[in-house]
Amino acid sequence: MATGGIARRSEGQVYRVAVIAALVLVVMTPVGLILYQSFLDAPFFDKTARLSLEAYDYVLTDPDFWTALGSTALFAVGLVAVAVPLGAMLAFLLARTDLVGKRWLEPVALVPMFLSSIVLAFGYTVAIGPSGFVSLWMKETFGFKPWSIYSLGGMILIGGLSHVPNVYLYVSSAMRSLPSDLEEAARAAGANIWRVSLDVTLPMVLPSLIFAAALNLLLGFETFGIPLVLGDPSGIVVLTTYIYKVNGIFGTPTYHVMAVVAVCLILITLPLVYFQRLLLRNSRRYAAVGGKGARATPLRLGPSGQVIAWGLIALWLVVSVALPIGGITVRAFVDSWGEGVRLRDHLTLAHFAHLLDTPSLYRGIVNTLVLSVVGGALAVAIYLAIGLAGHRNKGASGAVLDYMVLLPRALPGIIIGLAFFWVFLFVPFLTPFRPTLVSLFVAYTVVGLSYGLRIIQATLMQVAPELEESSRTTGASRGRTWRDTVIPIIRPGLVGAWSLIMIVFLREYATGVYLMGVGTEVVGTLMVSLLTSGSMDQIAALAFLSILFTALGLGFALRLGARIHD
Amino acid sequence: MTDLSVSSVEKWLGGNHILRGASFEANKGTIVALLGASGSGKTTLLRCIAGLEQPEGGRIEIGGNVVLNAEQGIALPPEKRNIGLVFQSYALWPHRNVFDNVAYGLKLRGVVGEEARVRVMAILEKLGLGHLSERFPDQLSGGQQQRVAICRALVYEPRVLLMDEPLSNLDAKLREDARYWIRKLILELGICAIMVTHDQAEALAMADHVLLLESGVIIQSGSPIEIYSQPATFYAADFLGANNVLRGKLTGAGAIGGEGWSLEGVVRETRPLALGDEARAVVRTERISIVDGPGENHVQMQLDACLYLGSAWEYRLTRGGLAMKAHGVQQLAPGEVWCAVPRDAVWIFGL
Repeated sequence: MATGGIARRSEGQVYRVAVIAALVLVVMTPVGLILYQSFLDAPFFDKTARLSLEAYDYVLTDPDFWTALGSTALFAVGLVAVAVPLGAMLAFLLARTDLVGKRWLEPVALVPMFLSSIVLAFGYTVAIGPSGFVSLWMKETFGFKPWSIYSLGGMILIGGLSHVPNVYLYVSSAMRSLPSDLEEAARAAGANIWRVSLDVTLPMVLPSLIFAAALNLLLGFETFGIPLVLGDPSGIVVLTTYIYKVNGIFGTPTYHVMAVVAVCLILITLPLVYFQRLLLRNSRRYAAVGGKGARATPLRLGPSGQVIAWGLIALWLVVSVALPIGGITVRAFVDSWGEGVRLRDHLTLAHFAHLLDTPSLYRGIVNTLVLSVVGGALAVAIYLAIGLAGHRNKGASGAVLDYMVLLPRALPGIIIGLAFFWVFLFVPFLTPFRPTLVSLFVAYTVVGLSYGLRIIQATLMQVAPELEESSRTTGASRGRTWRDTVIPIIRPGLVGAWSLIMIVFLREYATGVYLMGVGTEVVGTLMVSLLTSGSMDQIAALAFLSILFTALGLGFALRLGARIHD
Repeated sequence: MTDLSVSSVEKWLGGNHILRGASFEANKGTIVALLGASGSGKTTLLRCIAGLEQPEGGRIEIGGNVVLNAEQGIALPPEKRNIGLVFQSYALWPHRNVFDNVAYGLKLRGVVGEEARVRVMAILEKLGLGHLSERFPDQLSGGQQQRVAICRALVYEPRVLLMDEPLSNLDAKLREDARYWIRKLILELGICAIMVTHDQAEALAMADHVLLLESGVIIQSGSPIEIYSQPATFYAADFLGANNVLRGKLTGAGAIGGEGWSLEGVVRETRPLALGDEARAVVRTERISIVDGPGENHVQMQLDACLYLGSAWEYRLTRGGLAMKAHGVQQLAPGEVWCAVPRDAVWIFGL
């Protein structure tokens, strides 16, 4: 009897350790491989490869690398400088004031976050690029065009505007938990609404602002789509595009050089991720002060305030939502444009017909849908298995799990894809899976790991501990409790998580850059590879489909009441 | 027959010594109340019995089976302990209706189909819930939820029923009824029940045996009458009942006095007390009465105010540094009165 009990208790422990060990294997193998490769003088599968610092020597003395590093840092810092103030202002208006129409404004304001940066960047190219619709219209009407998006400034502005929702999400959730009496006291003391936001609201949510800044700095370092589309034409290279281009420079696979740049990038992103983790702990402590009794009465903007606020928001919406999406939509349905061309006369569905005719593009659409719908569901099941292993697990294995989940956040999609490409290329029993969607699915699951697990963990935490304890005292084992009580209770949350992961997988493009092959095409990565051949018609059609799928996924998620907030 | 035996249970939580060697036994057909202020460790002790907390030391047997033996590293998980636990929040599973909530424990024990239906309906009927079996927990009142939680914990006939503050989420009227019917039900079923409460009236009314906890130690145990009328320590005397605490000096072998007053009493302090030591006495308010004139252990006091409490009047009495409360049935005019304090009602303790 007694020994049986011990066995039972360790059964849950065995599950936890097994799942976490598998997670460590899946996360650490690619990271380890990159690190190992960076210290070799040839590709790791080459028999002649020896340990050497040659690759480091090459990269660290390459002036292009330092230029790329400088551009990356400038881009990331500039992005934060644009996104954080705008995001904080948007959060204040939507979370703390009686702005008209804020209920439907929120999902619209989040749109840029759900579009991949390659789609956005392409959208800006066709709208306000050198021969974009708006640029041409400007030239026709006023005779000049006062901007250039193919510059670091243009990249920063576009990157910043498209990251406003990421700031908005964190800051607004902090603002919502703020008790209104603090602001009301300031108003009663004679401050107008803008003073209140600067003197009271912002300082109170400072931790979340710093967190949002750190997060966006990280995203800035990892961005690939915007520099690729907007930086490349004028020769601006950042670290991610440096990795992407380095093969072309040598003409042969230069795995060791790519690995070194990846290591350099991780050395920057890893401290950022760790810093965020520290911040999050502290901000949780802050949030506890707010308490749940906090009553949030919106501040009254007044007529002129409403007009000013709406003016700012409308401008932002036009620039960051209407321009790129409108550009892509027009571009996808016309076959010719230019000065003096009436677009109405050139409407066509030919680009879409061409998509269906070209097997690789057609397969790309099918694969993308399969990966996001089926793969998304599988990924949620995997995240749930991991989430349960960490659920109320205060032991050492729980801490290991925390770090394993955090690590992929420091890895840009392109590097995760590269590492898994190597793994699937050279681990014997995995080789057969490389030309299948399985290889992409594994990489996607790792890319979505920290986001997906955060959703699952938040859902699991909503189950009151007593509901599980009462199941145990009634006679159910830990596994039985999960199956009969925990999972049925969180089922709606799981469906919501599925819809959000679906969107993450739909918009992914960088992960497939190396993994994609014949038969495993996906829409996002097809756009990257079509860029090289300049097939703008197909890119426009794919980008339009990508937006359409994302909109459907987002509508599905909102219908299910998925919580986009943490 | 001993259904539950707890010996020397030690529990540490983050550097705090929560339980310091708690030991007790409980028998079939009796109710044991774990009574104490918040932070006394009573809920932790209950959770250790249930297997929801792992004590660092001690031994627990349920129905003759060792479920915990810290020295030998034996610690059965909750599901192997054959217990029923009623949670303070009731913890009904929101995705199951009343019937399925109650039937789950039977299902886990392989009882399904008609037999399960009969047993579940029998206990639901017994607690007057038969007509609610299809409802979901959020469609029930607090009192109904509590009864479902009790049904769920009892239906598979566990050896020990554990209840964590079972009445604290009920409103006052329901609570008084629940004291009665829960006690009746447990005696009828003849099972062993352990109940955690911070409400002394609940413990005294429902339990056959009360364990009083202070800082993780059981400082006194006994029948409700013993606990209330024979407190062993100042803490026990002061924790139960409505009390006057009088500060003074020991003025005789069994007397306490201060400036202008003196009362005969009984010394209940376990430590030896010397004449002239600082001392304090506990006198329950209901033992003080207003009398017509002087007599043995009568004190003359000033009646400062008379407060109306509905069922009685509260008298606020002072004499120099001495202040007391007493209860009576009639309103009295402020002024000089005589109070009678029986000798056996003055419990003298050291400081």
